[in-house]
Amino acid sequence: MIRFENVGMRYGPGPEVLRDVTFQLEPGTFTFLTGPSGAGKSTLLKLLYLAEAPSRGLITLFGTDLATARRSAFPALRRRIGVVFQDFRLLSHLSAFDNVALPLRLAGRKTDDYIRDVEELLNWVGLGDRMNAKPPTLSGGEQQRVAIARAVVGQPDLLLADEPTGNVDPEIAQRLIRLFGELNRLGTTVLIATHDRGLIERSRSREMRLVDGRLVELRRG
Amino acid sequence: MSDKQRVRGRILPREKGAAPLDVVIAVMAFLAALALGASLLADRQAESWREGLAGRLTVQILQPEHPTSSRNLDTETEAALQILRGTHGILTVTPMSDADATKLVEPWLGADAMVKDLPLPRLIDATIVPGEHVDFAQLTTRLQTVAPDSNVDDHTRWISRLQNLANTIIYAAYAILALIAVATAAAVAFATRAGLEAHHDIVALLHQMGAHSGFIARAFEWHYLLSTLAASAVGAGLAAIAFLAAGGLEFAGVEPVPFLPPLGLNPQELVWLLAVPLVSAIIAWATARLSVLAVLREIY
Repeated sequence: MIRFENVGMRYGPGPEVLRDVTFQLEPGTFTFLTGPSGAGKSTLLKLLYLAEAPSRGLITLFGTDLATARRSAFPALRRRIGVVFQDFRLLSHLSAFDNVALPLRLAGRKTDDYIRDVEELLNWVGLGDRMNAKPPTLSGGEQQRVAIARAVVGQPDLLLADEPTGNVDPEIAQRLIRLFGELNRLGTTVLIATHDRGLIERSRSREMRLVDGRLVELRRG
Repeated sequence: MSDKQRVRGRILPREKGAAPLDVVIAVMAFLAALALGASLLADRQAESWREGLAGRLTVQILQPEHPTSSRNLDTETEAALQILRGTHGILTVTPMSDADATKLVEPWLGADAMVKDLPLPRLIDATIVPGEHVDFAQLTTRLQTVAPDSNVDDHTRWISRLQNLANTIIYAAYAILALIAVATAAAVAFATRAGLEAHHDIVALLHQMGAHSGFIARAFEWHYLLSTLAASAVGAGLAAIAFLAAGGLEFAGVEPVPFLPPLGLNPQELVWLLAVPLVSAIIAWATARLSVLAVLREIY
Protein backbone atom coordinates (compact mmCIF):
# COMPACT_ATOMS: atom_id res chain seq x y z
CA MET A 1 0.00 0.00 0.00
CA ILE A 2 1.18 3.53 -0.81
CA ARG A 3 0.19 6.48 1.33
CA PHE A 4 1.00 10.21 1.22
CA GLU A 5 0.06 12.28 4.27
CA ASN A 6 0.31 16.08 4.10
CA VAL A 7 3.32 15.84 1.83
CA GLY A 8 4.97 19.10 0.85
CA MET A 9 7.91 19.51 -1.51
CA ARG A 10 10.10 22.45 -2.41
CA TYR A 11 13.42 22.51 -4.29
CA GLY A 12 15.95 24.46 -2.22
CA PRO A 13 14.65 27.80 -1.04
CA GLY A 14 12.05 27.99 -3.86
CA PRO A 15 8.26 27.92 -3.51
CA GLU A 16 6.43 24.70 -2.63
CA VAL A 17 5.81 22.58 -5.72
CA LEU A 18 3.52 20.19 -3.84
CA ARG A 19 1.33 21.28 -0.93
CA ASP A 20 -0.40 19.09 1.63
CA VAL A 21 -0.76 16.19 -0.78
CA THR A 22 -2.66 13.34 0.83
CA PHE A 23 -3.77 10.20 -0.99
CA GLN A 24 -3.64 6.43 -0.87
CA LEU A 25 -3.05 3.83 -3.59
CA GLU A 26 -4.43 0.43 -2.74
CA PRO A 27 -2.56 -2.59 -4.16
CA GLY A 28 -3.65 -3.59 -7.64
CA THR A 29 -5.38 -0.29 -8.47
CA PHE A 30 -5.11 1.70 -11.72
CA THR A 31 -4.92 5.48 -11.38
CA PHE A 32 -4.42 8.41 -13.76
CA LEU A 33 -2.63 11.52 -12.55
CA THR A 34 -3.52 14.60 -14.56
CA GLY A 35 -2.94 18.30 -14.35
CA PRO A 36 -1.47 21.17 -16.37
CA SER A 37 2.24 21.40 -17.04
CA GLY A 38 4.12 22.61 -13.98
CA ALA A 39 1.41 21.42 -11.59
CA GLY A 40 3.85 19.03 -9.90
CA LYS A 41 3.07 15.69 -11.59
CA SER A 42 6.71 14.82 -12.24
CA THR A 43 7.68 15.85 -8.71
CA LEU A 44 4.98 13.60 -7.26
CA LEU A 45 6.31 10.71 -9.36
CA LYS A 46 9.88 11.47 -8.22
CA LEU A 47 8.76 11.18 -4.60
CA LEU A 48 7.10 7.87 -5.45
CA TYR A 49 10.13 6.37 -7.15
CA LEU A 50 12.45 7.62 -4.40
CA ALA A 51 14.42 10.11 -6.46
CA GLU A 52 13.65 12.92 -4.02
CA ALA A 53 12.84 13.20 -0.34
CA PRO A 54 9.77 15.25 0.67
CA SER A 55 10.29 18.57 2.45
CA ARG A 56 7.54 17.63 4.89
CA GLY A 57 4.84 15.07 5.43
CA LEU A 58 4.90 11.28 5.54
CA ILE A 59 5.26 8.79 2.69
CA THR A 60 4.61 5.10 3.24
CA LEU A 61 5.69 2.77 0.44
CA PHE A 62 4.77 -0.93 0.54
CA GLY A 63 4.16 -0.50 4.25
CA THR A 64 7.56 1.13 4.86
CA ASP A 65 7.67 4.61 6.38
CA LEU A 66 10.35 6.34 4.30
CA ALA A 67 11.14 8.86 7.03
CA THR A 68 12.28 6.16 9.43
CA ALA A 69 13.51 3.54 6.94
CA ARG A 70 17.23 2.88 6.66
CA ARG A 71 18.85 4.04 3.43
CA SER A 72 20.11 0.51 2.87
CA ALA A 73 16.46 -0.59 2.47
CA PHE A 74 15.87 1.79 -0.46
CA PRO A 75 17.43 -0.30 -3.29
CA ALA A 76 15.07 -3.19 -2.51
CA LEU A 77 12.10 -0.77 -2.49
CA ARG A 78 13.23 0.77 -5.77
CA ARG A 79 13.46 -2.65 -7.42
CA ARG A 80 9.74 -3.13 -6.71
CA ILE A 81 8.96 -0.04 -8.81
CA GLY A 82 8.97 0.16 -12.60
CA VAL A 83 9.27 3.66 -14.04
CA VAL A 84 8.62 4.94 -17.56
CA PHE A 85 10.47 8.25 -17.61
CA GLN A 86 9.21 11.05 -19.80
CA ASP A 87 12.70 11.33 -21.36
CA PHE A 88 12.97 7.47 -21.52
CA ARG A 89 16.49 7.40 -19.97
CA LEU A 90 17.72 4.51 -22.08
CA LEU A 91 21.40 3.61 -21.98
CA SER A 92 22.61 4.58 -25.42
CA HIS A 93 25.53 2.13 -25.50
CA LEU A 94 23.27 -0.87 -24.82
CA SER A 95 20.99 -2.64 -27.31
CA ALA A 96 17.19 -2.51 -26.94
CA PHE A 97 17.39 -6.07 -25.57
CA ASP A 98 20.01 -5.14 -22.95
CA ASN A 99 18.09 -2.01 -21.95
CA VAL A 100 14.95 -4.02 -21.33
CA ALA A 101 16.90 -6.73 -19.49
CA LEU A 102 18.59 -4.23 -17.17
CA PRO A 103 16.15 -4.57 -14.22
CA LEU A 104 16.54 -8.36 -14.40
CA ARG A 105 20.32 -8.07 -14.41
CA LEU A 106 20.11 -5.80 -11.37
CA ALA A 107 17.94 -8.43 -9.70
CA GLY A 108 20.80 -10.88 -10.25
CA ARG A 109 19.11 -13.07 -12.89
CA LYS A 110 21.18 -14.90 -15.50
CA THR A 111 20.82 -14.24 -19.24
CA ASP A 112 19.60 -17.78 -20.00
CA ASP A 113 16.95 -17.30 -17.36
CA TYR A 114 15.33 -14.18 -18.85
CA ILE A 115 16.18 -14.23 -22.56
CA ARG A 116 12.76 -15.65 -23.62
CA ASP A 117 10.79 -13.21 -21.42
CA VAL A 118 12.65 -10.20 -22.80
CA GLU A 119 12.32 -11.31 -26.43
CA GLU A 120 8.62 -12.03 -25.96
CA LEU A 121 8.03 -8.63 -24.41
CA LEU A 122 9.94 -6.84 -27.19
CA ASN A 123 7.82 -8.72 -29.73
CA TRP A 124 4.67 -7.63 -27.87
CA VAL A 125 5.63 -3.95 -28.05
CA GLY A 126 6.40 -4.37 -31.75
CA LEU A 127 10.18 -4.27 -31.56
CA GLY A 128 10.93 -7.92 -32.32
CA ASP A 129 13.08 -6.94 -35.28
CA ARG A 130 14.86 -4.10 -33.44
CA MET A 131 16.24 -6.02 -30.45
CA ASN A 132 19.87 -5.37 -31.27
CA ALA A 133 19.40 -1.74 -32.25
CA LYS A 134 20.95 0.92 -30.02
CA PRO A 135 18.60 3.68 -28.78
CA PRO A 136 20.16 6.46 -30.91
CA THR A 137 19.09 4.53 -34.01
CA LEU A 138 15.48 4.11 -32.78
CA SER A 139 12.67 6.59 -33.39
CA GLY A 140 11.08 8.46 -30.44
CA GLY A 141 8.14 6.06 -30.38
CA GLU A 142 10.41 3.00 -30.50
CA GLN A 143 12.51 4.37 -27.65
CA GLN A 144 9.36 4.93 -25.65
CA ARG A 145 8.29 1.33 -26.17
CA VAL A 146 11.73 0.10 -25.06
CA ALA A 147 11.39 2.27 -21.94
CA ILE A 148 7.95 0.79 -21.24
CA ALA A 149 9.17 -2.76 -21.78
CA ARG A 150 12.03 -2.08 -19.34
CA ALA A 151 9.59 -0.76 -16.74
CA VAL A 152 7.27 -3.76 -16.91
CA VAL A 153 9.69 -6.64 -17.55
CA GLY A 154 10.27 -7.37 -13.86
CA GLN A 155 6.50 -7.36 -13.11
CA PRO A 156 6.94 -4.59 -10.51
CA ASP A 157 4.56 -4.05 -7.58
CA LEU A 158 4.17 -0.41 -8.63
CA LEU A 159 4.35 0.94 -12.18
CA LEU A 160 4.80 4.68 -12.63
CA ALA A 161 4.62 6.19 -16.11
CA ASP A 162 5.17 9.81 -17.08
CA GLU A 163 3.31 10.54 -20.37
CA PRO A 164 3.88 6.98 -21.65
CA THR A 165 1.89 7.45 -24.85
CA GLY A 166 3.18 10.89 -25.78
CA ASN A 167 5.29 9.77 -28.75
CA VAL A 168 3.31 6.88 -30.24
CA ASP A 169 0.38 6.68 -32.64
CA PRO A 170 -3.12 5.92 -31.23
CA GLU A 171 -2.97 2.26 -32.21
CA ILE A 172 0.31 1.65 -30.37
CA ALA A 173 -0.96 3.78 -27.46
CA GLN A 174 -3.96 1.46 -27.06
CA ARG A 175 -1.69 -1.55 -27.22
CA LEU A 176 0.55 -0.10 -24.49
CA ILE A 177 -2.42 0.73 -22.28
CA ARG A 178 -3.59 -2.87 -22.71
CA LEU A 179 -0.13 -3.96 -21.59
CA PHE A 180 -0.45 -1.81 -18.45
CA GLY A 181 -3.94 -3.27 -17.94
CA GLU A 182 -2.57 -6.83 -18.19
CA LEU A 183 0.09 -6.02 -15.64
CA ASN A 184 -2.53 -4.41 -13.40
CA ARG A 185 -4.67 -7.54 -13.59
CA LEU A 186 -1.62 -9.53 -12.43
CA GLY A 187 -1.53 -7.36 -9.30
CA THR A 188 0.66 -4.37 -10.18
CA THR A 189 -0.47 -0.98 -8.88
CA VAL A 190 -0.36 1.42 -11.84
CA LEU A 191 -0.13 5.20 -11.75
CA ILE A 192 0.01 7.01 -15.10
CA ALA A 193 0.66 10.74 -15.43
CA THR A 194 -0.84 11.94 -18.70
CA HIS A 195 -2.43 14.81 -20.60
CA ASP A 196 -4.23 12.40 -22.95
CA ARG A 197 -7.95 12.98 -22.18
CA GLY A 198 -8.98 10.33 -24.72
CA LEU A 199 -6.99 7.73 -22.84
CA ILE A 200 -8.60 8.70 -19.53
CA GLU A 201 -12.13 8.88 -20.95
CA ARG A 202 -11.86 5.40 -22.46
CA SER A 203 -10.96 4.02 -19.07
CA ARG A 204 -13.09 3.88 -15.97
CA SER A 205 -10.09 4.17 -13.70
CA ARG A 206 -9.56 6.60 -10.88
CA GLU A 207 -8.29 10.07 -11.77
CA MET A 208 -6.34 12.38 -9.47
CA ARG A 209 -5.66 15.92 -10.64
CA LEU A 210 -2.87 18.22 -9.49
CA VAL A 211 -3.57 21.93 -9.60
CA ASP A 212 -0.96 24.35 -8.32
CA GLY A 213 0.65 21.64 -6.25
CA ARG A 214 -2.61 20.56 -4.58
CA LEU A 215 -4.28 17.24 -5.25
CA VAL A 216 -7.92 17.05 -6.25
CA GLU A 217 -9.77 13.73 -6.51
CA LEU A 218 -11.79 13.88 -9.76
CA ARG A 219 -13.05 10.38 -10.17
CA ARG A 220 -12.96 7.26 -8.00
CA GLY A 221 -12.23 4.17 -10.08
CA MET B 1 19.35 -15.16 -32.62
CA SER B 2 20.36 -18.11 -30.45
CA ASP B 3 20.90 -17.91 -26.69
CA LYS B 4 24.61 -18.38 -27.13
CA GLN B 5 24.86 -15.46 -29.50
CA ARG B 6 23.25 -13.02 -27.06
CA VAL B 7 26.13 -11.34 -25.24
CA ARG B 8 25.37 -8.99 -22.38
CA GLY B 9 26.54 -5.45 -23.02
CA ARG B 10 28.80 -3.78 -20.48
CA ILE B 11 26.93 -1.65 -17.97
CA LEU B 12 29.49 1.12 -18.51
CA PRO B 13 30.57 2.01 -22.04
CA ARG B 14 34.24 1.58 -22.87
CA GLU B 15 36.13 4.63 -21.69
CA LYS B 16 37.41 6.98 -24.29
CA GLY B 17 39.92 9.71 -23.46
CA ALA B 18 41.38 7.82 -20.50
CA ALA B 19 44.80 7.65 -22.20
CA PRO B 20 46.27 10.52 -20.10
CA LEU B 21 45.52 8.55 -16.90
CA ASP B 22 47.15 5.45 -18.39
CA VAL B 23 50.26 7.48 -19.23
CA VAL B 24 50.41 8.95 -15.70
CA ILE B 25 50.01 5.47 -14.18
CA ALA B 26 52.66 3.98 -16.50
CA VAL B 27 55.14 6.73 -15.54
CA MET B 28 54.33 6.29 -11.84
CA ALA B 29 54.83 2.53 -12.14
CA PHE B 30 58.15 3.09 -13.95
CA LEU B 31 59.39 5.35 -11.15
CA ALA B 32 58.05 2.98 -8.49
CA ALA B 33 59.84 0.04 -10.12
CA LEU B 34 63.07 2.07 -10.27
CA ALA B 35 62.74 2.94 -6.56
CA LEU B 36 61.97 -0.68 -5.68
CA GLY B 37 64.92 -1.86 -7.79
CA ALA B 38 67.19 0.68 -6.06
CA SER B 39 66.14 -0.62 -2.65
CA LEU B 40 66.84 -4.21 -3.76
CA LEU B 41 70.26 -3.20 -5.13
CA ALA B 42 71.10 -1.33 -1.91
CA ASP B 43 70.06 -4.32 0.18
CA ARG B 44 72.06 -6.74 -1.94
CA GLN B 45 75.11 -4.45 -1.87
CA ALA B 46 74.91 -4.01 1.92
CA GLU B 47 74.81 -7.78 2.24
CA SER B 48 77.84 -8.24 0.00
CA TRP B 49 79.75 -5.57 1.95
CA ARG B 50 78.91 -7.33 5.18
CA GLU B 51 79.97 -10.69 3.75
CA GLY B 52 83.15 -9.22 2.30
CA LEU B 53 84.34 -7.40 5.37
CA ALA B 54 82.88 -9.24 8.33
CA GLY B 55 85.18 -11.85 9.83
CA ARG B 56 88.28 -10.07 8.55
CA LEU B 57 90.78 -7.70 10.01
CA THR B 58 93.54 -5.63 8.48
CA VAL B 59 96.75 -4.69 10.26
CA GLN B 60 98.41 -1.56 9.02
CA ILE B 61 102.05 -0.84 9.81
CA LEU B 62 102.88 2.74 8.94
CA GLN B 63 106.18 4.00 7.59
CA PRO B 64 108.25 5.94 10.18
CA GLU B 65 107.58 9.68 9.96
CA HIS B 66 111.31 10.47 9.74
CA PRO B 67 113.14 8.74 6.95
CA THR B 68 116.22 8.68 9.16
CA SER B 69 114.50 6.46 11.71
CA SER B 70 116.28 3.22 12.49
CA ARG B 71 113.04 1.22 12.31
CA ASN B 72 112.89 -1.57 9.78
CA LEU B 73 109.41 -2.19 8.30
CA ASP B 74 110.31 -5.69 7.09
CA THR B 75 111.35 -6.76 10.60
CA GLU B 76 108.26 -5.14 12.13
CA THR B 77 105.98 -6.81 9.60
CA GLU B 78 107.54 -10.21 10.19
CA ALA B 79 107.16 -9.83 13.97
CA ALA B 80 103.54 -8.76 13.54
CA LEU B 81 102.89 -11.81 11.34
CA GLN B 82 104.28 -14.06 14.07
CA ILE B 83 102.00 -12.46 16.67
CA LEU B 84 98.97 -12.79 14.44
CA ARG B 85 99.69 -16.42 13.60
CA GLY B 86 99.97 -17.17 17.30
CA THR B 87 96.74 -15.41 18.22
CA HIS B 88 93.80 -17.61 19.15
CA GLY B 89 90.88 -17.20 16.75
CA ILE B 90 92.89 -16.06 13.73
CA LEU B 91 92.40 -18.42 10.79
CA THR B 92 94.66 -17.10 8.04
CA VAL B 93 97.26 -14.38 7.86
CA THR B 94 98.32 -12.95 4.51
CA PRO B 95 100.79 -10.12 4.11
CA MET B 96 100.12 -7.87 1.16
CA SER B 97 102.97 -7.18 -1.18
CA ASP B 98 103.99 -3.64 -2.17
CA ALA B 99 102.56 -4.38 -5.62
CA ASP B 100 99.18 -5.23 -4.08
CA ALA B 101 99.21 -2.05 -1.98
CA THR B 102 100.06 0.03 -5.05
CA LYS B 103 97.17 -1.61 -6.90
CA LEU B 104 94.79 -0.58 -4.12
CA VAL B 105 95.57 3.12 -4.54
CA GLU B 106 95.75 2.93 -8.31
CA PRO B 107 92.06 3.84 -8.95
CA TRP B 108 92.55 7.11 -7.05
CA LEU B 109 96.14 8.07 -7.81
CA GLY B 110 96.90 6.34 -11.10
CA ALA B 111 99.74 4.01 -11.98
CA ASP B 112 102.47 6.63 -12.27
CA ALA B 113 105.98 5.84 -11.21
CA MET B 114 105.52 8.54 -8.55
CA VAL B 115 103.08 6.30 -6.65
CA LYS B 116 105.86 3.85 -6.03
CA ASP B 117 107.76 6.52 -4.08
CA LEU B 118 104.86 7.10 -1.72
CA PRO B 119 105.35 5.92 1.88
CA LEU B 120 102.66 3.27 1.61
CA PRO B 121 102.00 1.30 4.80
CA ARG B 122 102.51 -2.46 5.01
CA LEU B 123 99.21 -4.28 5.15
CA ILE B 124 98.42 -7.67 6.62
CA ASP B 125 95.08 -9.26 5.85
CA ALA B 126 93.77 -11.78 8.37
CA THR B 127 90.60 -13.81 8.58
CA ILE B 128 88.93 -14.83 11.83
CA VAL B 129 87.61 -18.32 12.58
CA PRO B 130 83.81 -18.01 12.19
CA GLY B 131 82.17 -17.59 15.58
CA GLU B 132 85.46 -16.92 17.39
CA HIS B 133 85.99 -13.73 19.35
CA VAL B 134 89.27 -11.87 19.03
CA ASP B 135 90.20 -9.25 21.64
CA PHE B 136 91.19 -6.42 19.32
CA ALA B 137 92.39 -4.07 22.11
CA GLN B 138 94.80 -6.67 23.45
CA LEU B 139 95.94 -7.61 19.94
CA THR B 140 96.61 -3.95 19.13
CA THR B 141 98.71 -3.53 22.32
CA ARG B 142 100.71 -6.66 21.52
CA LEU B 143 101.30 -5.57 17.91
CA GLN B 144 102.41 -2.12 18.99
CA THR B 145 105.17 -3.63 21.13
CA VAL B 146 106.82 -4.91 17.91
CA ALA B 147 105.51 -2.26 15.48
CA PRO B 148 104.88 1.05 17.29
CA ASP B 149 103.05 2.70 14.36
CA SER B 150 100.62 -0.15 13.72
CA ASN B 151 96.89 -0.35 14.06
CA VAL B 152 94.20 -3.00 13.71
CA ASP B 153 91.08 -2.36 11.71
CA ASP B 154 88.23 -4.85 12.17
CA HIS B 155 86.11 -2.84 9.66
CA THR B 156 83.17 -2.48 12.06
CA ARG B 157 83.14 1.28 11.67
CA TRP B 158 83.29 0.96 7.86
CA ILE B 159 80.64 -1.77 7.77
CA SER B 160 78.31 0.25 9.97
CA ARG B 161 78.74 3.36 7.80
CA LEU B 162 78.05 1.34 4.65
CA GLN B 163 75.08 -0.26 6.36
CA ASN B 164 73.77 3.21 7.25
CA LEU B 165 74.25 4.34 3.66
CA ALA B 166 72.40 1.28 2.36
CA ASN B 167 69.61 1.76 4.90
CA THR B 168 69.27 5.41 3.91
CA ILE B 169 68.89 4.39 0.26
CA ILE B 170 66.36 1.69 1.18
CA TYR B 171 64.25 4.01 3.38
CA ALA B 172 64.42 6.77 0.74
CA ALA B 173 63.16 4.23 -1.82
CA TYR B 174 60.31 3.24 0.51
CA ALA B 175 59.41 6.92 0.99
CA ILE B 176 59.37 7.38 -2.81
CA LEU B 177 57.18 4.28 -3.17
CA ALA B 178 54.76 5.68 -0.57
CA LEU B 179 54.62 9.04 -2.36
CA ILE B 180 53.99 7.31 -5.70
CA ALA B 181 51.22 5.22 -4.10
CA VAL B 182 49.55 8.39 -2.80
CA ALA B 183 49.92 10.11 -6.18
CA THR B 184 48.51 7.06 -7.99
CA ALA B 185 45.55 6.92 -5.63
CA ALA B 186 44.93 10.66 -6.11
CA ALA B 187 45.10 10.31 -9.92
CA VAL B 188 42.66 7.38 -9.89
CA ALA B 189 40.31 9.16 -7.47
CA PHE B 190 40.31 12.18 -9.76
CA ALA B 191 39.70 10.01 -12.84
CA THR B 192 36.92 8.09 -11.07
CA ARG B 193 35.18 11.33 -10.14
CA ALA B 194 35.50 12.49 -13.73
CA GLY B 195 34.21 9.11 -14.93
CA LEU B 196 31.23 9.34 -12.58
CA GLU B 197 30.55 12.83 -13.84
CA ALA B 198 30.74 11.66 -17.47
CA HIS B 199 28.44 8.70 -16.77
CA HIS B 200 26.18 10.49 -14.33
CA ASP B 201 23.06 9.57 -16.32
CA ILE B 202 23.94 5.87 -16.21
CA VAL B 203 24.81 5.95 -12.51
CA ALA B 204 21.62 7.88 -11.67
CA LEU B 205 19.50 5.43 -13.68
CA LEU B 206 21.08 2.33 -12.12
CA HIS B 207 20.65 3.88 -8.69
CA GLN B 208 17.05 4.68 -9.54
CA MET B 209 16.37 1.14 -10.67
CA GLY B 210 17.49 -0.18 -7.31
CA ALA B 211 21.10 -1.15 -8.06
CA HIS B 212 23.10 -1.51 -4.86
CA SER B 213 26.01 0.88 -4.47
CA GLY B 214 28.32 -2.13 -4.61
CA PHE B 215 26.95 -3.13 -8.05
CA ILE B 216 27.60 0.35 -9.46
CA ALA B 217 31.00 0.57 -7.74
CA ARG B 218 31.99 -2.79 -9.26
CA ALA B 219 31.40 -1.49 -12.80
CA PHE B 220 33.88 1.32 -12.11
CA GLU B 221 36.42 -0.49 -9.96
CA TRP B 222 36.93 -3.28 -12.52
CA HIS B 223 37.49 -0.74 -15.24
CA TYR B 224 40.17 1.09 -13.22
CA LEU B 225 41.70 -2.12 -11.88
CA LEU B 226 42.23 -3.53 -15.39
CA SER B 227 43.41 -0.30 -17.00
CA THR B 228 45.82 0.38 -14.09
CA LEU B 229 47.10 -3.19 -14.24
CA ALA B 230 47.85 -2.80 -17.96
CA ALA B 231 49.39 0.69 -17.69
CA SER B 232 51.52 -0.12 -14.64
CA ALA B 233 52.69 -3.39 -16.22
CA VAL B 234 54.03 -1.32 -19.13
CA GLY B 235 55.79 1.08 -16.70
CA ALA B 236 57.28 -1.71 -14.58
CA GLY B 237 58.23 -3.60 -17.76
CA LEU B 238 60.18 -0.59 -19.04
CA ALA B 239 61.97 -0.33 -15.68
CA ALA B 240 62.81 -4.05 -15.86
CA ILE B 241 64.26 -3.48 -19.36
CA ALA B 242 66.33 -0.58 -17.95
CA PHE B 243 67.72 -2.81 -15.18
CA LEU B 244 68.41 -5.62 -17.66
CA ALA B 245 70.19 -3.14 -19.96
CA ALA B 246 72.33 -1.94 -17.03
CA GLY B 247 73.14 -5.59 -16.22
CA GLY B 248 73.95 -6.21 -19.89
CA LEU B 249 76.36 -3.27 -19.96
CA GLU B 250 78.16 -4.63 -16.91
CA PHE B 251 78.27 -8.07 -18.49
CA ALA B 252 79.90 -6.47 -21.54
CA GLY B 253 82.52 -4.93 -19.24
CA VAL B 254 81.19 -1.38 -19.28
CA GLU B 255 81.11 0.24 -15.84
CA PRO B 256 78.05 2.58 -15.95
CA VAL B 257 79.06 4.61 -12.88
CA PRO B 258 82.58 4.27 -11.40
CA PHE B 259 82.76 3.11 -7.74
CA LEU B 260 78.99 2.40 -7.61
CA PRO B 261 77.78 -1.16 -7.13
CA PRO B 262 76.43 -3.03 -10.19
CA LEU B 263 73.07 -1.63 -11.34
CA GLY B 264 71.73 -4.81 -12.93
CA LEU B 265 69.04 -6.83 -11.12
CA ASN B 266 69.22 -10.61 -11.04
CA PRO B 267 66.15 -12.68 -12.12
CA GLN B 268 64.91 -13.24 -8.55
CA GLU B 269 65.05 -9.49 -7.93
CA LEU B 270 63.28 -8.75 -11.22
CA VAL B 271 60.36 -10.91 -10.04
CA TRP B 272 59.86 -8.39 -7.23
CA LEU B 273 59.02 -5.74 -9.87
CA LEU B 274 55.80 -7.68 -10.54
CA ALA B 275 54.63 -6.29 -7.21
CA VAL B 276 54.43 -2.81 -8.79
CA PRO B 277 51.51 -3.49 -11.20
CA LEU B 278 49.80 -5.74 -8.64
CA VAL B 279 49.95 -3.16 -5.84
CA SER B 280 49.06 -0.33 -8.28
CA ALA B 281 45.98 -2.27 -9.43
CA ILE B 282 44.90 -2.88 -5.83
CA ILE B 283 45.36 0.82 -5.02
CA ALA B 284 43.33 1.78 -8.11
CA TRP B 285 40.61 -0.75 -7.28
CA ALA B 286 40.27 0.43 -3.69
CA THR B 287 40.42 4.12 -4.64
CA ALA B 288 37.81 3.76 -7.39
CA ARG B 289 35.50 1.81 -5.10
CA LEU B 290 35.78 4.29 -2.23
CA SER B 291 35.32 7.26 -4.61
CA VAL B 292 32.17 5.79 -6.19
CA LEU B 293 30.67 4.83 -2.83
CA ALA B 294 31.39 8.34 -1.49
CA VAL B 295 29.62 9.93 -4.48
CA LEU B 296 26.65 7.53 -4.25
CA ARG B 297 26.21 8.35 -0.56
CA GLU B 298 25.51 11.94 -1.62
CA ILE B 299 22.56 10.81 -3.80
CA TYR B 300 19.20 10.28 -2.05
